[in-house]
Amino acid sequence: MPLLLSSLVSGCDASWVSFSRRSAGGTGLLDAGSRQDPALSGNGQWLATVIERNGRLSLLLQHQPDGRVVPLRQIRGHQPHSSPTLSWNGRYVAALVQQGNQRLAVIEDRASGRLHRLTLPGERIPVRLSLAPDGQRLAVELMQEGQRRVELLDLTNLLEPDRPAGQAVGEQGR
Amino acid sequence: MRSCSALGHALTTMGAGLLLTGCLGSVPVPLNGFNQQLEQAGNSREPALSDSWLAVISGRGGREQVLLLNLARQRPVPLPNLNRPDAQPLSVAVDNAGEHLAVVRQLEGRTELVLYRRSLGTVELLPMQPPGVPRQVSLRADGRELAVQVSRNGLWQVDLIQLR
Repeated sequence: MPLLLSSLVSGCDASWVSFSRRSAGGTGLLDAGSRQDPALSGNGQWLATVIERNGRLSLLLQHQPDGRVVPLRQIRGHQPHSSPTLSWNGRYVAALVQQGNQRLAVIEDRASGRLHRLTLPGERIPVRLSLAPDGQRLAVELMQEGQRRVELLDLTNLLEPDRPAGQAVGEQGR
Repeated sequence: MRSCSALGHALTTMGAGLLLTGCLGSVPVPLNGFNQQLEQAGNSREPALSDSWLAVISGRGGREQVLLLNLARQRPVPLPNLNRPDAQPLSVAVDNAGEHLAVVRQLEGRTELVLYRRSLGTVELLPMQPPGVPRQVSLRADGRELAVQVSRNGLWQVDLIQLR
């Protein structure tokens, strides 16, 4: 699926950074006019965004830079989706989904096809997620009585590491 | 799936804290020591996690700033020249090395995207072209690319920006 690049290149007067830019381009969906909540995989080969599809906010996963759309078999349904976040190679896709009247944090393992579901006790509502590139930790922003608080979870007993190819265990970016 | 939900409800009722349920039966472990350190900073939101760093927007009493915490040392590191009393951060992202932070902030009536380099303490403006209002930012782990949500003509778009 071709990516419709609006390839405008821009220089920058900054002393240490120069950059070029492009639009994330087409989604392959005729009614997808708006997209938000971008998340890049650690290696930059995957982009997750939230688009409006049939009036519902839905998660879209695209390979980069060709824009090929990859189905998320476990997460689909349960809209609205929000706050996607990806591991290094895009093996794990975490997001917030709707189940009944509950917001749930879920992680789809694209390698095994499994869906891991997070439920929160009490009145705490998940608002945003951020998955570490190696998939070994998850940061969750929670809201309770108007107060927002980020908590960190260890996922090492749940997910295999998703690290760059050739990187040895323990050889993580520091 | 119904039995998994029942298990989750039962565990939640037992007050076991934040639980991951599902058919795998595994439970993540809240990093309580780290979470307690983070709580001392006040409210926190907009988490951005790398393998070794957590960036958040935190604050008390209406004043917020970007906070970068080293996960191993469980404490924040200085971010000279990034946080300003007249700026309101909206979104933050961090690379895997904790060297680059991308921040969307409101400053002097405008919303801007800046890139911060921690080792140099420099802040560089990344203008939106075509003009637009940035909102949410994500940084690739190696710091060489970012994705930013931009409002243009009432529509949300996503720009990909290669950094060199």
